[in-house]
Amino acid sequence: MGIKIDRDLCIGCGTCLGACGSGALELSGDGYAVVNDNCVMCGMCVDACPVGAITLEKDGGESDISAYHGVWVFAQQTEGKILPVAYELLGKGRELADALGVTLTAVCFGSNVQQPEKLIHAGADKVILADDPKLGFAMDLPYADLLTKLIRERKPEIVLYGATAFGRSMAPRVAATVKTGLTADCTILEIDGETKLLRQTRPAFGGNLMATIICPNTRPQMATVRPGVMPALEPDTSRTGEIERLTGVEIPDTAVTLLNTITEITGDNITDYDILVVGGKGVGAKKNMKYVKRLAELLGGNYGVSRPLIDAGWAEYKHQVGQTGCSVAPKLLLSLGVSGAIQHLAGIGGAQTIIAVNTDPDAPIFNVAHYAVVGDCIEFMQEMIAKLEAKQ
Amino acid sequence: MDLKLIRPMTEEFAEYLRDESRSVGSAEHIAFPRTQDEIREILKACYASGEKVTVQGARTGLAAAAVPYGGCIVNLNKMNRVTAMRHEGGDYYITLQPGVVLSELKKMIGSKKFDTTDWDEASNAAYVDFCKDGEFFFSPDPTEASATIGGMVCCNASGARSYHYGPTRGHITKVTMVLSDGRTLTETRGGECANGYDAVFTCDDGSKISAKLPTYEMPKTKNASGYYAAKDMELIDVLIGSDGTLGVVSEIEVKLLPLPQIIWGVSLLFENEQSSLRFVDQLRGSVEGVASVEFFDSGALDILREQKKKSTAFSALPVIEPFVNTVVYVELHCDTEEQAQQRLFAVGDAFTAAGGKEENSWVARNQSDLDRLMFFRHAVPESVNMLIDQRKQKDPTITKLGADMSVPDAHLFDVVKMYRDTLKENNLESATWGHVGNNHLHVNVLPNNGEEYARAKELFKVWAANVSKMGGAVSAEHGVGKLKAAFLTIMYGDRHIDEMRALKRAFDPKWQLGVGNLFTEKEGI
Amino acid sequence: MKIIVCIKQVPSTNEVRMDPVTKTIIRDSRQAVINPFDTYAIEEAVRLKEQLGGTVYAMSMGIPATERLLRDAMARGVDKSLLLTDRAFAGADTLATSYALSLGAAQLGDFDLIICGKMAVDGDTAQIGPELSAQLGIPFITDVCEILEASEKKLRCKKVTDNGFAEVEITLPALITVSKDINMPRFPSISGVRFSLTAPFRSCTAADVGADTERCGLTGSPTQVVRSFTPDRSHKAQPLTGSMAEIADAALKIYEEVR
Repeated sequence: MGIKIDRDLCIGCGTCLGACGSGALELSGDGYAVVNDNCVMCGMCVDACPVGAITLEKDGGESDISAYHGVWVFAQQTEGKILPVAYELLGKGRELADALGVTLTAVCFGSNVQQPEKLIHAGADKVILADDPKLGFAMDLPYADLLTKLIRERKPEIVLYGATAFGRSMAPRVAATVKTGLTADCTILEIDGETKLLRQTRPAFGGNLMATIICPNTRPQMATVRPGVMPALEPDTSRTGEIERLTGVEIPDTAVTLLNTITEITGDNITDYDILVVGGKGVGAKKNMKYVKRLAELLGGNYGVSRPLIDAGWAEYKHQVGQTGCSVAPKLLLSLGVSGAIQHLAGIGGAQTIIAVNTDPDAPIFNVAHYAVVGDCIEFMQEMIAKLEAKQ
Repeated sequence: MDLKLIRPMTEEFAEYLRDESRSVGSAEHIAFPRTQDEIREILKACYASGEKVTVQGARTGLAAAAVPYGGCIVNLNKMNRVTAMRHEGGDYYITLQPGVVLSELKKMIGSKKFDTTDWDEASNAAYVDFCKDGEFFFSPDPTEASATIGGMVCCNASGARSYHYGPTRGHITKVTMVLSDGRTLTETRGGECANGYDAVFTCDDGSKISAKLPTYEMPKTKNASGYYAAKDMELIDVLIGSDGTLGVVSEIEVKLLPLPQIIWGVSLLFENEQSSLRFVDQLRGSVEGVASVEFFDSGALDILREQKKKSTAFSALPVIEPFVNTVVYVELHCDTEEQAQQRLFAVGDAFTAAGGKEENSWVARNQSDLDRLMFFRHAVPESVNMLIDQRKQKDPTITKLGADMSVPDAHLFDVVKMYRDTLKENNLESATWGHVGNNHLHVNVLPNNGEEYARAKELFKVWAANVSKMGGAVSAEHGVGKLKAAFLTIMYGDRHIDEMRALKRAFDPKWQLGVGNLFTEKEGI
Repeated sequence: MKIIVCIKQVPSTNEVRMDPVTKTIIRDSRQAVINPFDTYAIEEAVRLKEQLGGTVYAMSMGIPATERLLRDAMARGVDKSLLLTDRAFAGADTLATSYALSLGAAQLGDFDLIICGKMAVDGDTAQIGPELSAQLGIPFITDVCEILEASEKKLRCKKVTDNGFAEVEITLPALITVSKDINMPRFPSISGVRFSLTAPFRSCTAADVGADTERCGLTGSPTQVVRSFTPDRSHKAQPLTGSMAEIADAALKIYEEVR
């Protein structure tokens, strides 16, 4: 709640300073009007401003939601490289923006961000880019503060985030600061034909239930989406659009200091592979993990495991597939000895083809698999490995 | 043999020559029957040819009872169906084929999901009642949950909760056996009884088997050593615990118990072993609802600490502080939370009285904490096995040597002293855990080399003799099988062994079944 | 050091019953447990207290029966607890929940640190920690897997990032959320259980903490559930049969087709 001054409109004329009875307005060093703590929100300045740069904003529910336009996608980067999830979100964002007849904007913060035009190729009409050495490593507070500022100034009606570790951390900070809703891990996003509201569908209770959620009275409507859930559009290099580089962005120091980073997962993210071999409890023993790994290697893919195997210490966490691990969307997923707990199924929904092997014909994995093998997964792997090795 | 059911033994069946005891036997044939009639066909064929028969379940036994002694293996893994359910007097009874695996059975009972495909109308009606009713369980809980129910009946298996609920025997209401000549014999709880020591078993075809029961007095303690025998006994008890020597168990009916509303566990951390024993002594009789009392000594804890450092598989274990010398786990089964609290505090009082400090305890009041304490208990034998496997690489002749002896309550301190003194005298490394509530400790000797292994084997005979003198049992739960047959003779003496031989002969005149288990054949008996 | 741990009561299984009118989940407290991720938060708070001295508070917003779980936290080393319980809090989304919790934290006074579990296993949104930090205007770090150094003024933490780990320092007062790698929670002891039965326990209503009921519960939640449904699982897989060699051939053929 408070007086907002739109810097894009303010001409620094100083008319408002005279109109204020509380001494709450002053001109900043760079020539814009700014509000200080003396403000009592009487609204005198709003009418006095000759260019309409001043508004009195009310809290969440009562704020005028019709002022919000456009769809934004927060495009996360690591070491200057835009993450694939940003392109996936733009694919969906394009659809939503078209349904609403508004522009699609990608917002990207980073340092030496490479090829921001790719965001345009992936469907964005516009890119807002803050490129600053201080934004090199994605940190919650400076990112959230900057994004909050942009949202308040420019009023997008929808903001989408990748449900990466960082996205899941920063987005709620933004949401609670601007006092709006945030729906985590959406699997379906669509515009309601009548109300034009964003319908956000997400799994709840480990996927036992799907819930469709709306955010009718506050803006922006915000959602996060897991990597691998939405398909990206084929890049269209003929697309053009504006890339707005924010200048003069102030990034104040926060109470959190980055001391060091340890990069562990580089290009060996299981979400990056077209072929995944996923082992479950049916693998039987830690020693049998060698078959899972070998088969993945022979197929030119990577391997994943279900949660119980992580708990048993048979594989590292980064190989965990499922709700609390990675959501994956490979072209082919071989599911071996995985019973298919609902949390696991929530993480493999994006796979294009699933071949499941399990001794239990009633295993829930067969409810989502495209091909079902009722049998011993060790035998299956041994047979596959033998055949592939023979070919080599 | 031309019967299709009986196949010649080939390399692909090699694993069926072994069991968890890691002894290896030999066999000429193997069969995997699916029905009682198939068992009968197989036994009739063997009866005609005189071939010996060794019956197998999941081969998880530690006494080599399932290791074949030549002849034909009858493996019951394929007979793994639940065939009927009965609802009577508020109780539920289920009929099982012998190859049903315990963990599967627990899962079916817990989730109330049974394959009712071939069930008759009465069973289906009982099942409808069962689904509407409260929660039930089958209490016998040997640590190795991949055991089959048939194997459990054959050795009268126990587990931690047998402290409260007793061994398998008490939960079996009906057993059907196929005899060596192909006849079947069914005995029920509350059915045929002996007249003194004279028993007449009525076979399903009406024919009779008359036999003299052994006249020894069984130890007044947990016992899985030799035939169950007592004056005027129920004849079903002769079949339970007979170690595959009287017939092939083909059908079993078990009774389910209502699941207690509240299950809590607490592990008590002791600074020395003596106070842990004082605690057990205190606890017995003073606290109600105690379902199990388990023990882990300093040798076992040291190995656990070591393996926790080495292997990520054990990283979920709680930290075992250096001061902890002995751990005793107590499980409480209660009706209400208030009752559970009272009992927990009573355990605390006994702990304090025995010299413990209440803050040195791990209380589990929800499933995830109970699972963690269970993981701790199961990690002990597993980590010891890992250690032995490492040592075996240096000297392949050694294996773990585990005792399974129990004594009456009055001898708890004596038997522990005996183990400690003799292990020290012989300079042998050991790790001990087990069912201290029943004075039933698995003392495991961990030999470093063949020489220590041989010394340990001799020591076990000394223990068997001493435990027998204390009125104990040489096997409390694993059964005698082939490995402990010598101990059985030490326990009962030749005369009583001859009585057992005579009983077997009445069932198995050609001495074909479970040969080598319990005792050896003797001419003229 | 004054530390607040936020805990949530969650069902021990993920089987669901819905209220058909309000479209909210019906909570059955009988099978409820402390959200597993919060148990790591409790343990870390107790360890910090043991290291630096101070008091650990457990705080929850929930139905009155949540008292049982707060007492369980006290059996595990927490000193005092606060339960925010009121019809007005019911049906809250993460924004309204974090608002209520922020008032609870204010009620407890000058805290140095708030610790939350990384996420709750039922909702799985991982939003409460960051939203609560925003409501209180304090800095935060999520997904902390190790506290490397702690003092009354600062924490040096190792946190999980998208491609590895980061070492960060945060000035207190602050909020952190912890992952399950951070510690191995202790068991309560018998003496801890005895303490928990009589330990100080406070229960507050919305009015007690001065809450604006317009910002609480269903009323104060910007998000609304408009529809709940069970996912369609009527799908049928195509069986691959034959000998294992034949099955492997079929699987390899599919592999060649899709790669």
